[in-house]
Amino acid sequence: MTDTRSLFETTLKSLSSKGVRYADIRATTTSNEHVKVRNGAVENLSSATDRALGIRVLVGDGWGFAATSNHDESAVERIAMRALEVAAASHIASTQLVELSEVEPHIAQWSSHFEIDPWSVPFETKISHLHEATDPLRDDDRVHQVLGEISSYRQEKIFSSTEGSYIEQSTTEMGAGLEVIAIAGGEFQRRTFPNPFGGDFQARGWEFIEEVDLPANGRRIRDEAIALLTAPKAPAGIHELLIGSSQLALQVHESCGHPAELDRAMGLEISLAGGSFLQPSMLGEFRYGSDLVNIVADATVPQALGTFGFDDDGVPAQRFHLIRNGIFVDYLSGRDSATAIGRRSNGTVRAETAARIPIIRMTNINLEPGETSLEDLLADTKKGILVDTNKSWSIDDLRLNFQFSCEVAWEIENGKVGRMLKNPTYTGITPRFWQSCDAIGNRETWRIWGLPNCGKGDPLQTMRVAHGAPIARFRNVEMA
Amino acid sequence: MIGKDEIVGVLERSLAAAAGDEADAIVVASERNVTRFANSNVHQNMSEESGELVLRIIADGKQGVASTSSFLDEDIRHTASLALDMARRSERLEGFTGLYGGNEPVAELPTFDEATSRLADADKAHRLRAMFDEGTTKKVTFAGSFSTTVASLAAGNTNGIRRWAPLTAADLVTIAVADDTSGFATRMSRRSGDIDTMELGREATDAALLRRHDRSDIDAGPWDVILGPPAMAEIFEWMNMITFTGQSYEDGSSFFVGNRDKQVLGVNCTLADDPLDPEFAPFPFDAEGMPRRRNSLVEKGRVHGPVLDRLMADRLGLEPTANAASPGSDEHGIALHVSMAGGSASREEIIATTERGILVTRFHYLNGLIEPRTAMMTGMTRDGTFLIEDGKVTKRLPNLRWTQSMVEAFSNIDTLSKERRIIGTWWNTFGGTLAPTVKIRGWKITGRSGA
Repeated sequence: MTDTRSLFETTLKSLSSKGVRYADIRATTTSNEHVKVRNGAVENLSSATDRALGIRVLVGDGWGFAATSNHDESAVERIAMRALEVAAASHIASTQLVELSEVEPHIAQWSSHFEIDPWSVPFETKISHLHEATDPLRDDDRVHQVLGEISSYRQEKIFSSTEGSYIEQSTTEMGAGLEVIAIAGGEFQRRTFPNPFGGDFQARGWEFIEEVDLPANGRRIRDEAIALLTAPKAPAGIHELLIGSSQLALQVHESCGHPAELDRAMGLEISLAGGSFLQPSMLGEFRYGSDLVNIVADATVPQALGTFGFDDDGVPAQRFHLIRNGIFVDYLSGRDSATAIGRRSNGTVRAETAARIPIIRMTNINLEPGETSLEDLLADTKKGILVDTNKSWSIDDLRLNFQFSCEVAWEIENGKVGRMLKNPTYTGITPRFWQSCDAIGNRETWRIWGLPNCGKGDPLQTMRVAHGAPIARFRNVEMA
Repeated sequence: MIGKDEIVGVLERSLAAAAGDEADAIVVASERNVTRFANSNVHQNMSEESGELVLRIIADGKQGVASTSSFLDEDIRHTASLALDMARRSERLEGFTGLYGGNEPVAELPTFDEATSRLADADKAHRLRAMFDEGTTKKVTFAGSFSTTVASLAAGNTNGIRRWAPLTAADLVTIAVADDTSGFATRMSRRSGDIDTMELGREATDAALLRRHDRSDIDAGPWDVILGPPAMAEIFEWMNMITFTGQSYEDGSSFFVGNRDKQVLGVNCTLADDPLDPEFAPFPFDAEGMPRRRNSLVEKGRVHGPVLDRLMADRLGLEPTANAASPGSDEHGIALHVSMAGGSASREEIIATTERGILVTRFHYLNGLIEPRTAMMTGMTRDGTFLIEDGKVTKRLPNLRWTQSMVEAFSNIDTLSKERRIIGTWWNTFGGTLAPTVKIRGWKITGRSGA
């Protein structure tokens, strides 16, 4: 049997001889495992294995891509021919030039780091961990549902290109979370820990689940869910808003990460995900936020979901500013888009699996910490509202008008945290909002959050990204 | 396309490999071709052949679910071994009475179109190129996608259930862009011949050019709105998640809870999950092998109930509705064919009889998690939002933000169009939404886009 590298290189050589300008082959094996306990019983034990092989070719200015779930030798040649057919069809309706930015060839291996392999931990251990976290929370009639879940993910990936790269990468991740639903008197409240939609995720092993420590945090969120049932509604009007790290991470995702994707700015995603208010003419000039605001794209952060060795163009992982001292300075880009703004790819092109076309995706998009301690930030706030943990999110097709609801809020009065408030919703226009940022918490308030479900592309691709964020304060924010 | 014998063969091998007390499986082999375009240029073009086997094993009243993309014997055996291992390590399912064994016949439905299965990449590209070229004469560019799918599906279980169906789908989504305005058109069908790219291109172009030099703004507050089928489809996609599924009913987030057989919505609101309508996107069985049927969700404003797989139906003490999307899946029943009954008016008559209102083509980025018990949602309009005055479209409006309870909105329906359109969606190859144009009174506009 031919080894994978020889097979891929032979196929790429054959494609080159047929006149392709560029070609790459990717192969992925993706494994997922999910354990869910609901209301004291295991609801779901599931395991999924997905194999994919994808070949992308550029012929003239027409792209072609073909993929299969079949990894055998004969499939490689067949899929290569299919990609050529698709490229020929693209040529019929291609009206623009394709120029790829340069990249050096890389022969490399990269792997994320874990201490305890998720697949070495028995199901029984995961189940008992979830029982320990959730069973004690069901001792109140107002608690309608208690859910705990643990997820494991691994992707093995090979990338080989006509430019001489052959890269093998392996990523292992785990995530865990709790959800409590309390219902009474027609009121419905949901509280989650540490984050909604499956919890928090990192590129680590079981040691991360132990660190998250669901059992130690369940009682607090259960009590908060119950307290929210009778809490007053967060007041509408213009407020000084303190946004906790978890919610601010999603704010960064929606109002900075997505609009900084160059393919959106070029109109390539407008029919589905939308465009961007950040246009190339604004680079280096546009005031996105206050001087305090520094947002970096950093695919090199240890153990985060947006971390990798090389992107799916074979470009090495990088760290760079999107927003520097409040000014918009760069996009997330790939090889076929960076040239449109006269730059080189900064290595942010990824595909969910080898069965999908690589597109620009967020890596780890992080709001850099400031210098203000949590205590000083609170003490400096005479009257405000602190919100955290996302409940709903919505933003327009240019990423300007946003509206977020959070699970919980608290009054801040004369520097002290006061009453709990329910159903906080705030809204704004992205640059006005970030320009109103007047305090950013220090490193102690900063943490990185894993989001395994960022959707983009057609067919839709779900990407695993992360966001580091501290607590921060914003002036004159409208609450609904 | 993988034929019946081969796909049913995979099903047989999977069930044969499954130890335990009972097992069921769904096997899907598909080829999906997606051509994406923007700036009147094809920039992504792909063909994917894929396979998926989802196998559930029940052992001693406990469940394990494993899936694989490979149909090789060794991978099927490994998948069966994993499912059994998980079932053995799991816990007993509360009240579960077991897998389907009724074996009632399934309906003969037109799920497959030969021409769609054979549509060549080049044919699609030529059709798009013609649309681009006509757009150039009107100074618009197009963005969107043209996708076709051909699939072969088999479902069955160790109680002797065997189902198979071929499936085709074609879906065009296009927006026309004219400087700073845009318009939208879409159509989905089992038959690619129903997708008239030129007609849809013109529809999107007309919406992009309509009143493009007559701009206006409006105040926030309650407005009469006329929502096109794509806007309605986005609402129903969220209602599927927060209202219709078995899981949303069990966890208490659905407004159906406590309201079954009660008049909650307006008498002109009738919603169903209708996979048998040949004019929609028919499909004959669910992932548990049960024959699909028309399930009433809301009948003339009266709430009927959620859609349920067998596990959730047993848990809730209700009848299963043949809505399993996958064996053991988290939503425990999902409506893949949401159909809203139309009325008697034409879209033009609805506009003509509106003194002052807003015409909405499409929504963007809805979210229905604000207060799910009232189906409170927020979202933006896009690709053509217009002011109606004295029965005429008079001004183009900016994209508007709204925040609105659907329980309230569906109690305030004024008029529905007779014509309905099938709207596809990215996650649902089986069906989509069939919706009319709907006029609703008192829709809450809360803001607008703009720097």
